[in-house]
Amino acid sequence: MAVAASTLERPRSRSVPAERIVDLPVMTTVNTDPRALFEEQAIPFLDQLYGAALRMTRNPADAQDLVQETFVKAYAAFAQFEQGTNLKAWLYRILTNTFINVYRKKQRDPYQGTTSDLEDWQLGNAESATATGTSSRSAEAEAIDHLPDSAVKDALQSIPEDFRLAVYLADVEGFSYQEIADIMKTPVGTVMSRLHRGRRLLRGLLTEYAEGRGIPVPSKESVGAASTKTSTTAPATRARQKKTTPAGSTAAGSKGSTT
Amino acid sequence: MTDCGCTKAKAELEEFLHNELESHDAADIREHLAGCSDCSSELHIGVVLTEAVQRACKEIAPEQLRDQVLFSIRQIQSTH
Repeated sequence: MAVAASTLERPRSRSVPAERIVDLPVMTTVNTDPRALFEEQAIPFLDQLYGAALRMTRNPADAQDLVQETFVKAYAAFAQFEQGTNLKAWLYRILTNTFINVYRKKQRDPYQGTTSDLEDWQLGNAESATATGTSSRSAEAEAIDHLPDSAVKDALQSIPEDFRLAVYLADVEGFSYQEIADIMKTPVGTVMSRLHRGRRLLRGLLTEYAEGRGIPVPSKESVGAASTKTSTTAPATRARQKKTTPAGSTAAGSKGSTT
Repeated sequence: MTDCGCTKAKAELEEFLHNELESHDAADIREHLAGCSDCSSELHIGVVLTEAVQRACKEIAPEQLRDQVLFSIRQIQSTH
């Protein structure tokens, strides 16, 4: 690998600005050793990548394998990483690629992507669960705010994979739409729609969860309150609620008369 | 409620929340939000949702994974 080592050095030494060398004297020595540089720059992302891998694979053993494989690949390709560009996004690209090419195929269970049936059913659900009036919204926000982390994780696990990833990359990692588009290899428009739908699903699921635990979310005003509690056949109730949601317009209308 | 800016604000709330709007569009939304409790309560849910997801997704990798990763990287290095 003598060839690789020499190609490694050129872009690196060029891209380190003079003032940074002054600021960080360590960099000058580290610079000559790609492994030390990789350890210094990439390893700090280990926890974050593991978190993402957990959301992707949904189990710790696969998540660890995925992270391990990602770092090995990243290290092998580190010469191609252009210093000064976004290393975190670069690592996430490798992680996502590896997940899609290796794990999604290996996980023999049906692909959990964006199945339209599931999606629409869940979306209808989520819509009917979410609040409409200003005061119900603040109650909903309050309820979501007090949910245990486990409930949020469960909800995330249950939404389609592509939605989950978009939500994770935007909301946890703070990537821009464009960066997510690059990571997921999809157009920005697709990222937006996955993110919106994922978040709406999540909101609906969390609100439902809060209601299930007796945290009051007065989204359906008088109509919903009675029927949700008495019924155990959830889908039927949901269908009914969905039809009765025009009640939501009364809630919105009553907003005007709030004193 | 025909159009007092709510339609535009609601449509762009997600982009506003994710910092994806041009500064003048973001300023429009901000101005609308200041005077509209309906839209600002909607934004508040969005913010709370984001924070809940962030809180729930904080993970620390097992120590053994860190060791394993470092070990494999060093292995690669030594074989060259």
